[in-house]
Amino acid sequence: MGDVIKASMVTKDYDTNTRALDNVTLTMAEGEWTVIMGPSGSGKTTLLNLLGCLDRATGGELVIAGKDVTKLSSKELTRFRRENIGLIFQQYHLVPYLTALENVLLSQYFAGTVDEKEASQMLTEVGLGHRLEHTPAHLSGGEQQRVCIARALVNAPALLLADEPTGNLDSENGRKVLELLGKLRAEGHTIIMVTHSPQVAALGDRVIELVDGKVASDRRNDLKAKAENTCVSAGY
Amino acid sequence: MFFRILGKSLVRRKSRVALAVLAVMLGASVSSALLNTSMSMSEKLSEEFRKFGANIIVLPQSDTIEVGLPGISLGSVTDQRYINESQLWRIKKIANWSANVLGFAPYLYQVVEAASEAYASNVVMAGTYFDQAVEGVTTGDGRPWTTGLRTIARYWQVDGNWALDDNGTSEAMVGTSVADRLRLGQGSEFVARYSNPETKEVTNRTLHVTGIVSTGGPEDSQIFVNLAIAQEMSSRPDKVHDVQVSALCVNCPAEKIADEIEYSLPGVDAKSVRQLVMAENDIMMRLEQMMLLVTVVALGASALGVMTTMTTTVIERRKEIGLMKAIGSDNLGIASLFLAEASIAGLAGGLLGYGAGLILSEFIGQSVFGSAVSPVLLVLPVTLGLSIGITLLAAALPIRRATSIEPAVVLRGD
Repeated sequence: MGDVIKASMVTKDYDTNTRALDNVTLTMAEGEWTVIMGPSGSGKTTLLNLLGCLDRATGGELVIAGKDVTKLSSKELTRFRRENIGLIFQQYHLVPYLTALENVLLSQYFAGTVDEKEASQMLTEVGLGHRLEHTPAHLSGGEQQRVCIARALVNAPALLLADEPTGNLDSENGRKVLELLGKLRAEGHTIIMVTHSPQVAALGDRVIELVDGKVASDRRNDLKAKAENTCVSAGY
Repeated sequence: MFFRILGKSLVRRKSRVALAVLAVMLGASVSSALLNTSMSMSEKLSEEFRKFGANIIVLPQSDTIEVGLPGISLGSVTDQRYINESQLWRIKKIANWSANVLGFAPYLYQVVEAASEAYASNVVMAGTYFDQAVEGVTTGDGRPWTTGLRTIARYWQVDGNWALDDNGTSEAMVGTSVADRLRLGQGSEFVARYSNPETKEVTNRTLHVTGIVSTGGPEDSQIFVNLAIAQEMSSRPDKVHDVQVSALCVNCPAEKIADEIEYSLPGVDAKSVRQLVMAENDIMMRLEQMMLLVTVVALGASALGVMTTMTTTVIERRKEIGLMKAIGSDNLGIASLFLAEASIAGLAGGLLGYGAGLILSEFIGQSVFGSAVSPVLLVLPVTLGLSIGITLLAAALPIRRATSIEPAVVLRGD
């Protein structure tokens, strides 16, 4: 499988004294579940924002799905993001006055094709077929996160980015979400996930650790160890 | 989907939307009321102005003959001329602006000796119409059209009653100075003695006072009788010295009406009372400027209200905006949503403001002019246009703020 991400000497400065990413060079393969770890302030969210085209690199080259996104205009970057990136947030970020179905439809609406049947199907696939008309206030945290995942998946993005997807969930809901991500990985989705938890990180194919904006380590999870790292042993 | 988001967003934040609508409504009601009043005001004010006397004076054309030698002027001799009373109906029958001729009063002046039981004094006696039917002129419903001082001199303060125009009457009204001098009151009698300068013939007429006139002007020193009495006493049948015309000048200058009178009544000079006309125009212009200023201030206040409300909304919804941008909305998508919300608030506020403005203009009409201000249809689209325009203008800054939201910034820190 080819590389879906090629980052070369990527830097991100917030001001002259704050360098969040420092000459990061890495590649990520298509269909791989990559976990980004690191202490607070290490640059993992910054890296995720760059990969999600929510922010721009100060220097270097970043090619996503064959496109050098550092050369795109703001408008092109927005279009690229909605066509290629699915975002899963720690706090779900659902629109509070829209139903679960409408939140998924929202993503389709911005992409230009609204298909209620497909959106309903997506929610059914994440186990929420019976909660289509519920607003976020009437859904549990785990259910909201699954709506968020359905919204991220509905436009069939090339890349699924998850920022601490289980960070706000109890163990039961966290387990369900990780199972869902595992299933997506098995279906061939490329997932990049930020987490603090080593147990959750052990579920991925590869773990990149950032320290002070630099790649401190980049290792592949042992297949045997990974197999043993079930959701239950991962703390869920 | 757009309308689903829009509808649910409006319903969810109904208190904020209500605030924005209220802000627009307040400005729209003031502008609607003032526009409505302003558009009706010209007519109302003209009617009011007409209470303060005539604005056109009609005089007979006079031939002035210069007397003297070449290079040395010894003055001029003016031939005394009159206007024929029997032709006065033409004033009300001018070609284009006849409806604007509210009334007229002819005057025939003579100096008489007025003698009461107590005193005698020379005073100017004016023969005129009080409320005289004009032959050949009828109102819209076929009744005789009447005119005279009661129409054109409504500002006169009359202690007692107006005199009658009946030929057989001996009624007179006297100015307050004359009344004081001759010790006359309502119901008193006095003798008016006219000595014809040409025939030396003396005519006496006993008159009784129906009312005392007070205007603060020359009328206070005059006696008013109906025109027939004056013509009879001075042996000048069918003659008047001048005619004062009260014309409603809403859509035309008084000069145009004067021109038409000259055309309709040959041998006369008709002049607008320039100072009065200018003063009227000046007052109208100032009132319109004041109304415009109040409207601008009211709309400005509305715009500030809308801007504040929408800015608060943008701040409250920054995560929602950030999310929409993160999942693919461009700036146009965000701006469209807020523009649509602003337009709806502007439209609703404009409609409600128009209604409230009608009530307000009715109140202004009743309290200022003592009559209703009829709704002007043009005010509705103007008010709606202004409301939506002002709302969109006020929304510009908050929308700019919304589109500049960086999703990475507002969605981080979880």
